[in-house]
Amino acid sequence: MDAVIVQGLSYRYWTDGPVVLNNVSFRVARGEMMAVTGLSGCGKSTLCLCLNGIIPHSRDGAMAGSVLVGGKNTREHKVSSLAFEVGLVFQDPDTQLFAPTVEDEIAFAPENMCMAPGRIRERVDQVIALLGIEELREANPNQLSGGEKHLVALGAVLALDPPVLVLDEVFSGLDDAGRQRVAAVLEELRSQGKTIIAVEHDLESVAFADRMLVLDEGAVSRLDRTEALLADREFLLAGRLLF
Amino acid sequence: MQFDPRTKLVAIICITTLAVLYNTPGPLFLLLIASMILLLFFRIDPRRTWGYLRPFLYLFLLLFVIQVIFSPGGEVLLAVRQVPLITGRGLDMGASVVLRLLVVITVAVLLTTASSRDIVLGLVQLRIPYEVAFMVEVAMRFLPVFREELANVVTAVQLRGVDLQRVPWGQKMALYRSLLFPVVYGALLKAQQLSEAMDARGFRAYPRRTYLRRLQFQSLDYAMMLLFLAGTSVLVWRQLV
Amino acid sequence: MAFLALNEVAFAYRGQQKRAVAGIDLAFDLDGITAIVGPNGSGKTTLTKLMTGILQPDAGEILLENRTLRSYSLAEIGRRIGYVFQNPEQQLFCATVAEEIGFGLRHQGWGPSAVRERTGFYLDYFELAPYSNIFPLHLSRGEKQRLAIAAVLAGEPGFLIMDEPTAGLDAYRKRLLADYLHKVAGLGRGVVIVSHDTGFVQRVADRIINLENGRIRGERWQRGDSLDAV
Repeated sequence: MDAVIVQGLSYRYWTDGPVVLNNVSFRVARGEMMAVTGLSGCGKSTLCLCLNGIIPHSRDGAMAGSVLVGGKNTREHKVSSLAFEVGLVFQDPDTQLFAPTVEDEIAFAPENMCMAPGRIRERVDQVIALLGIEELREANPNQLSGGEKHLVALGAVLALDPPVLVLDEVFSGLDDAGRQRVAAVLEELRSQGKTIIAVEHDLESVAFADRMLVLDEGAVSRLDRTEALLADREFLLAGRLLF
Repeated sequence: MQFDPRTKLVAIICITTLAVLYNTPGPLFLLLIASMILLLFFRIDPRRTWGYLRPFLYLFLLLFVIQVIFSPGGEVLLAVRQVPLITGRGLDMGASVVLRLLVVITVAVLLTTASSRDIVLGLVQLRIPYEVAFMVEVAMRFLPVFREELANVVTAVQLRGVDLQRVPWGQKMALYRSLLFPVVYGALLKAQQLSEAMDARGFRAYPRRTYLRRLQFQSLDYAMMLLFLAGTSVLVWRQLV
Repeated sequence: MAFLALNEVAFAYRGQQKRAVAGIDLAFDLDGITAIVGPNGSGKTTLTKLMTGILQPDAGEILLENRTLRSYSLAEIGRRIGYVFQNPEQQLFCATVAEEIGFGLRHQGWGPSAVRERTGFYLDYFELAPYSNIFPLHLSRGEKQRLAIAAVLAGEPGFLIMDEPTAGLDAYRKRLLADYLHKVAGLGRGVVIVSHDTGFVQRVADRIINLENGRIRGERWQRGDSLDAV
């Protein structure tokens, strides 16, 4: 069964506001990595919020269509229980990190899942090792540099060990070293069979995705294998996706 | 020498109880000295304490003056046309009110030495529901952020070439008002985003949750708590009898 | 005489042993695009805050138009140097997009029609016209970024410092930004950008300063490429 099934998804933030997502439909197979791209304002971030239930549960507005993650319909499960199926890393790390130390931050998700303390410690150690941030373990997330905060936010969600990972602009704010690190982490996660959906402006960073979905003003403009799409310079220029 | 945050909480409750109980300047002053010594014992930098007290100085002055004028009694020291303004009792009451506040604020500084996660653990182990306890952590995380944010907005406004000191008074109020609205709205937006991020990591998925660390009382904690509870009981008894 | 000069500047954040920046000697003129590059945590943002007077150096001196920076008020600096924060939300505080762009001008005493004209120009240039009545914090990140840049540029300061201006911008808008930066530089204004977007820096900067661990590791000049070739 597909990891993520989106059907006829439409959304507007308020009842007679502009349509932010327009009849979006696509499927993501288990273990696949899909990149989502498009110009700023095209609905990419909104799509992320629909994938883990924040839309419709936490935001008002009108949603039509359906989203199934791991077989669960996002309308029928609350956000905190959907978290076991899908982990979302938001664009802005400052509004995700609140614990006094990085270790506490990463432990937060396993604690919510009622894991035994010994296993929580294992999970935290695993995530810290995967991201290579051992030296930040006791640091206050609030005082880290922008790039380090992004890594910690990623780690905090990885601690859920969700089958599906949704990343909203995870590469922005990272320098070259950081990008390499995150790319390596994503490759590792793929080899573990995780499904990854990465929303990204910078096409280069996600060139290793299997398929790429292009959104244009809330609608699906193209969904294709990544190499095919990146090779089609005409399309990219016309969509103003190439600099 | 690490103390459990619950021990500090007990100390704070004991001292605050005494502060409420006493209503003459003498004992309250002694209590204030005791609180300051307590802070030194916990190795809190007195300059930091001063930093917490400084914003309240005007408030203290105002409260003092109000108390003095509105609690006349005893020896009259200053009167205006037969109306007693400054009296012996008034001064006593004024001093008591201010000292009491000083004690409460000073001793609350003790809480700042505990990590916010430890405080949450303390509250949870005291059987407070975790949803409530975590709000303490969120508040501790974000109160300094809002202060910083306000400072940032003031910096950003000035960097747009607007000299806040030169703005005429009439415009100034309107300016501050129009600045406050988006700052408050921004704060609410952040709060919403954070709560969504917490939910997105499984917060409140289950009625209970487990914890990476647990607080353990050490013998030092027991000794300290005993000292405070015993001492406070004795003093309360003496005061009431 | 350089417009902005830093002499042996050093700074450490309160409570931190290690200096965020040290031994900084730099001079900037009112022309050309300079990029300050370096890995995360190398002190780039700190350096820009020192240059704008938001932070005061522990050692060394900063001179703006040959007067020490300390002698200027923040508002006086703001009229000469425009600063765009890394996080655009830190500098958006009006109720609508149009108001945000006109804010600085209005409170410096400009008349309403002049404000409207200048605002209109920047709304169009940054393609923000359709959003002119929207609450700035409701915009997407990329749009907020454009708005922050527009709001700072509206006062047409002689010098512009931008901290990670391309974060959150898509390819098309990065190109627009690069175009505008070239235009600004061409008008006799100086531009400094802090970025780790090496591609963008290559295309845009005339001068590249390498910052590492708070110190300058190297400087080189190149010609900012023209952007016709894509």
